[in-house]
Amino acid sequence: MSVPPSPRGSASDVDEQAPNGDRLANLLLGIARYVDPAAAPANLAPGSDPSLDALRHILLDRELQVLARVRQTLDDPERLAKAVGEVLPLAVLRSAGRDGRLGEALAPTVERATQSSIRKDPRTFINILSPLMGPTIRKSIAEALDGTLQSLNQALKHSLSWRGLVWRIEARRAGTTFADVVLRHTLVYRVEHLFLIHKESGLLIRHVAADDAASGDPQLVSGMLAAIQDFVRDSFGRSGDTGLDTLRLGDQVLWCEQGDVAFLAAVIRGTPPETLHGTLRDTLLSIQDEWRDALVSYDGDDAAFAGVDDRLRTCLQAQAKPREQRLSPFLWFLPLLLLVLAGHWLYERRNDQRRFDRYVERLQAEPGIVVTGVAKRAGVWRVTGMRDPLSVEPTTLLAAAGLTPAEVDGHWQPYLALDPALALRRFQTSLVPPPTVSLALDDGEIRAFGSAPHHWIERARGLVRTLPPGSPALDLSRLEDPEMAEYERVRRAVQSHVVRFDHNVPKPAGDQETEMDTLAEDLRELERVAHQMRVTARVTVTGHADSTGKDTPNLALSLGRAEVVRSMLKARGVDPDLLAVRGAGPLEPLKPEATDEDRSINRRVSFTVGIGD
Amino acid sequence: MQQKKICMLGAFAVGKTSLVRRYVDSIFSDAYLTTVGVKIDKRVVTVGDQAVNLILWDIAGEDDVSAVRMSYLRGASGYFLVVDGTRAATLDVARSIQRRAEDEIGSVPFTVLVNKLDVREEWTVTDGDLAELERAGWSVMLTSARTGEGVEAAFCALTERMFRPSPAAC
Repeated sequence: MSVPPSPRGSASDVDEQAPNGDRLANLLLGIARYVDPAAAPANLAPGSDPSLDALRHILLDRELQVLARVRQTLDDPERLAKAVGEVLPLAVLRSAGRDGRLGEALAPTVERATQSSIRKDPRTFINILSPLMGPTIRKSIAEALDGTLQSLNQALKHSLSWRGLVWRIEARRAGTTFADVVLRHTLVYRVEHLFLIHKESGLLIRHVAADDAASGDPQLVSGMLAAIQDFVRDSFGRSGDTGLDTLRLGDQVLWCEQGDVAFLAAVIRGTPPETLHGTLRDTLLSIQDEWRDALVSYDGDDAAFAGVDDRLRTCLQAQAKPREQRLSPFLWFLPLLLLVLAGHWLYERRNDQRRFDRYVERLQAEPGIVVTGVAKRAGVWRVTGMRDPLSVEPTTLLAAAGLTPAEVDGHWQPYLALDPALALRRFQTSLVPPPTVSLALDDGEIRAFGSAPHHWIERARGLVRTLPPGSPALDLSRLEDPEMAEYERVRRAVQSHVVRFDHNVPKPAGDQETEMDTLAEDLRELERVAHQMRVTARVTVTGHADSTGKDTPNLALSLGRAEVVRSMLKARGVDPDLLAVRGAGPLEPLKPEATDEDRSINRRVSFTVGIGD
Repeated sequence: MQQKKICMLGAFAVGKTSLVRRYVDSIFSDAYLTTVGVKIDKRVVTVGDQAVNLILWDIAGEDDVSAVRMSYLRGASGYFLVVDGTRAATLDVARSIQRRAEDEIGSVPFTVLVNKLDVREEWTVTDGDLAELERAGWSVMLTSARTGEGVEAAFCALTERMFRPSPAAC
């Protein structure tokens, strides 16, 4: 700032000599000459006219005084500082509002000041930053933990599956971690809409959407989102930057990132990775930084935000589902074949089981077979149990059940079954009944029907006597014994014979020849029948005498009569071993002897037939 | 694209929702009013040669048990105070809401809509009441949600005042 030169001495003289009106007239004349040289004297050089200086003095007197005050202010640092201090806040505000140069100019100084302050006492800055950093760090850590948990969850979920194994190989081949591969394959998502919403009014600042993503009117949606944010904040008494983080609807999720003047809402389909939170927040913060003034003074006009769309689009990320490899028809055929084979195997196995069950069922139904255990080892069925040797041979049941002997291995402990059917079989085996005999189960008992040789019947009786208690009995009562009947007939015939004797004569009376012949014939018949019955017949030939005379000679006479008859029978071809003789004397009379006739009847030889050893 | 947030305020059942229903594009059901307490609709008007989206926040009516959620007013460029002409008490509610609205968002243009003009003969809000409002500098307009009378004009007038001094032509 320059100060005008002081008026010269001559001009001061003029001033003081002439009255003011004349002075002004003269000055005006001088100025006219100065302006128009033609009307002015040539000896006056421009700028050197004292009247001009005087004029300047008259016109600028007040300004000169102001200038002097300003100069004093400028020259005195104390006053200058005071004056600048008064206008500095306003000046900074104006400058910041116009462009960013002030910020650029101040930045190095501020940085140096900050560094110096931190060096001097870091606590000041810690105190300033901690309310800000605390929640930010907490949120960041929470998100990082969420991300880690998410990847851990996914990794655990897929670690033991077949797909997990394939991914493990893929991770090894790609030289990355298993968790990364799992996340890449499982987190299929797409950011479909992004709404940048003015926080205060809920008005939509910008909206970008993925191609073909549909939604309602974005302006209405953003209004409602803001309203819901307010609603939640009011309802739960929270304020500030907190608000709804996440809303989930089916496979869509809405994530909100809160800024101080705007919030960013992302509509995402699928399962987004937690790291997307960071991307959204970074985007929101960068937009807030760059368009801060426009955001703060936002009044509904979005003209200033044209460049925001590009920034938002970087968040329209998607993780596509890994493309399924197209399988060749053969590879389709392979699982089909496996399926068919597995089906066939299952069918066979089921069939096999069914056949074996049928076999065991048949075994159980057989008398004399008790199944105690079944098992399958190395493709072979193993049956254990007890079996009566007379029961059906288990292997003969295999074919009926559709099994082969190679498929079944039987282990049987022998035992005697008391089952009537088995007992019947046992009788048949041990007694070997002749064809004329039939053994049958009748009402739970074993009965013999028909007729049998006597010796067989005797053997059967012997067997029945030796059966263990509790065994089914063999009823032989209905069995006919024809040999026994024949024997009885012959016995009666033999015993009906009586050989007569004359008084005191050991030889039979003369008329007894025919009697002797028929007797011999009957005895021979007896011999034959006994032989047939496999028994030994015994015929006791008893001689009798009448009571006349003394007893001793009568005894001798009677024995003699018996011996004579035996001899005569021997002579007629009767085996003498068959005949035993004894003398009864007069001791066994047929009649009391009153007459000769009675005595004649008592003189005789009689026959008794028995079966003996 | 210019957007403006406008709120519909008033006592319970004065016809706020009916007033906007025939006038707006809507994707939300009225159920939002009873759940969240607000329903948002949109109307496009032209101011000068510029299209303006009016985002209408239809805020649940105030009654004895629930007050208007004032946080919904934040960022509004104007609002309607709807009064039921047949219920003079709703005018008092409107006055009360206006005081709270001014506390919340400061002085922004608003218009009192005295609704149910179609049953004017049943009104209990008197001309004296209306004159008093106008004396207080309030803009008062009479509407009928049923016939649509005055609704369009009311929206135009409020929009115009929000854009003042720019000329409005809607």
